[in-house]
Amino acid sequence: MKLTTREGGLEASPRVVIAPPRARPRRLFRSRTAIGFVFTAPLLFLFAAFVVYPMAIGLYYASDPDSYRAIFSDPVFRTTAANTFWYVVVAVNVKLVLAVLLSGVLDYPYWSIRVLAALFLIPWAVPALPGILSFRWMLNSQWGIFNHLLTKFGFASVPWLAQHDTALGAVMVFHIWKYLPFWTIIFLAGRRAIPGELYEAAAIDGGSAVQNFFHVTFPLLRNLYLICTLLSMVFTLGDFTVPWLMTGGAPGDSTHVLATLAYRYTFTMGRLEWGLATFTVALPITLLFIGLLMRWVKI
Amino acid sequence: MEQTRRDFLKTTAAGAGAAGLIGLPSTTRAQGSKLTVWWNKGYYPEEDAAMQKIVKEFEAKHKAEVELSFTAQEDLLKKITAALIARRVPDVAFCFYNDWQVVPKYAWDDRLADVSDVIEELRPRYDDKMLVVAHVMNNKMKKRAYYGVPIEAQTMHIHYWRDLLKEAGLEDAPDKIPMKWDDYWNYWKKAQDALRKKDAAKYGKLFGIGMTESTRASDTLYNFDMALLSFNGEILDKDGKIIADQPRNRDAIVKTLKWFGELFTSGYVPPDATNWTDGDNNAGFHSHTLVMTPNPSQSIPAAQFFNKDDPQKNNYFNNMATIEWPDGPDGKKARYLTAVKTIIVPKDSRNQKLAKDFIKFVVEKDRFAEYIKAANGRWFPAFKDVASDPFWRTGHKGPKGEKDNHVPVATTIFLERDNRVFEHYKHPALSQVYDENVWGKAMARIVVDKWPADKAADEGIERIKAIFAQHK
Repeated sequence: MKLTTREGGLEASPRVVIAPPRARPRRLFRSRTAIGFVFTAPLLFLFAAFVVYPMAIGLYYASDPDSYRAIFSDPVFRTTAANTFWYVVVAVNVKLVLAVLLSGVLDYPYWSIRVLAALFLIPWAVPALPGILSFRWMLNSQWGIFNHLLTKFGFASVPWLAQHDTALGAVMVFHIWKYLPFWTIIFLAGRRAIPGELYEAAAIDGGSAVQNFFHVTFPLLRNLYLICTLLSMVFTLGDFTVPWLMTGGAPGDSTHVLATLAYRYTFTMGRLEWGLATFTVALPITLLFIGLLMRWVKI
Repeated sequence: MEQTRRDFLKTTAAGAGAAGLIGLPSTTRAQGSKLTVWWNKGYYPEEDAAMQKIVKEFEAKHKAEVELSFTAQEDLLKKITAALIARRVPDVAFCFYNDWQVVPKYAWDDRLADVSDVIEELRPRYDDKMLVVAHVMNNKMKKRAYYGVPIEAQTMHIHYWRDLLKEAGLEDAPDKIPMKWDDYWNYWKKAQDALRKKDAAKYGKLFGIGMTESTRASDTLYNFDMALLSFNGEILDKDGKIIADQPRNRDAIVKTLKWFGELFTSGYVPPDATNWTDGDNNAGFHSHTLVMTPNPSQSIPAAQFFNKDDPQKNNYFNNMATIEWPDGPDGKKARYLTAVKTIIVPKDSRNQKLAKDFIKFVVEKDRFAEYIKAANGRWFPAFKDVASDPFWRTGHKGPKGEKDNHVPVATTIFLERDNRVFEHYKHPALSQVYDENVWGKAMARIVVDKWPADKAADEGIERIKAIFAQHK
């Protein structure tokens, strides 16, 4: 027997007709949700234990207005806020501009460039501690290589880590040296995703290398650049390792950033609530960066 | 019986939950008769070995289990701080920073156990001058009591290289070093000038004075307070009230800061001294790039005593010496500050009796003498009976019968000089003044920011007032 539907199509055999769902959608939903919860429970538990709970406790401790009065009245905090601003603005921008430019160099298909790229990755791959300690030795005013070279060529030696500007500059330079390779590789991947036809078309139109960069490469890297900038700002705002190991806030507590100052308040001075208040001051800016980032990548 | 998917999920969830509960990380919270002891890692293996021996003896005698862990001082301070804040504590904690960074502030917050009963028992043995450091205020109970058990002390000494002075053509014997204020400091400047003149290539980067002037180093506050005493300045009165702003004291603070500023800018102190940590003057001294350095413990000679590259201990006995802080600018003999290292029992410890028994066991005369001598004179005992051991007067004997130029100097300072403990016992806010290194900051204002000394002094005094105002 030929089975047809009212519309004239083939009708399925009664044996293969899928029975209409039982009229218990809410229960089914509940059941599936429950199963989902069971499977995600470990992750939810970890998230609650290591993200939600610490943040809630942190905000609770940081909610005392006296803590804000105390840190805002501390002259070191004001210097620190300015340092953090300059650290983020200068280090992030210099690093990313250099990364975009260097990614162009590493994009050349020569074996020597590949070797160079491998060497270039070393600073990012090595642990921060030996790198920073080496850099500190190089900057030592008595026996550091920089001052040795300066004095060899007749210049006066510079107490690099013993004055505010050069000490903060040293922190920025190390940060850039350390993280530049990572962002360069990101931009290199971005460049490699640009279709070659666009460059061929530009070449037919007589575009120079500079014109290619400004009219083809950079417009297509723009979104990536902005995302990288926001990500790097979030990372740099919370950077503790480089400033702490490089200067420890010296000279005269003038080179602290918010992360190191919070650490100083919490562990040197035993003022947990001040440390958390210091982080909370930076929280709106961090959340703004994260919000912009999420909007940009449409999460 | 066949297991359904639902059964499987139920079993899995229940199992995971149980495993999670059982597997919760064990805490350091002291429980039962197991005594948790956090001890400062010694500078020398002999110190740790001596403490391990004490623990074994205690376990055998008291039939108790002791969980002993050693941690380096900087990390241990953070560990103790975190434990006290989180109220998950050891039963006994001994850190070299307890005296000024733990006892005053956590006794104030009622986080430490009152150990006055232990102190009363030990009182006849104590050097009274050292005992006061642990007699601090509990702001919750509104009473003063002993919240720590002092055991050993350090004070300020000056170490110098005799071989460098000889090479500079200067007298190198300790009794030949001029002790008048200006002559004393000029002596090291003269040594730097002479050495650089003699061999510019070899000594071009040598400095006469290794004076730490950094906010990163606790040596800075020791240096400042010693110099302030020399200039007859005081920060607090006997009741712990600020008197730093009184004209006489302000004047002394300005003079002290000016002196530090001029010393730094004179070119006789390494430019990196504003960025030094506590170990950097030691490192500079050991590498012969400093002629002298003030150091508030005997760690430098003790390190040379154990120098494996110098089996004859030539550096310790012949090439270097320890001398006293000079007489003040007014010609009076130097007055000294002592930092007294202290054991604490957290209030949240569940084994307070056993903890106190342990402390009393550690400080028994012979046992403690063995422990503290393992540090080779780095610390001086807080107990008179232990300090009466001839070792403290004679020190070590050299392989060729040489005299010890270090340990006996410290003993003279402790026993014969005008010596008092740091005053953070008077008010916990002073502990924060030290934590913030307010005077290190003032030094940086002068040498880095080029502020005049009086402006830097006034900023420091105002900061101290603000810190005290926060402790209601």
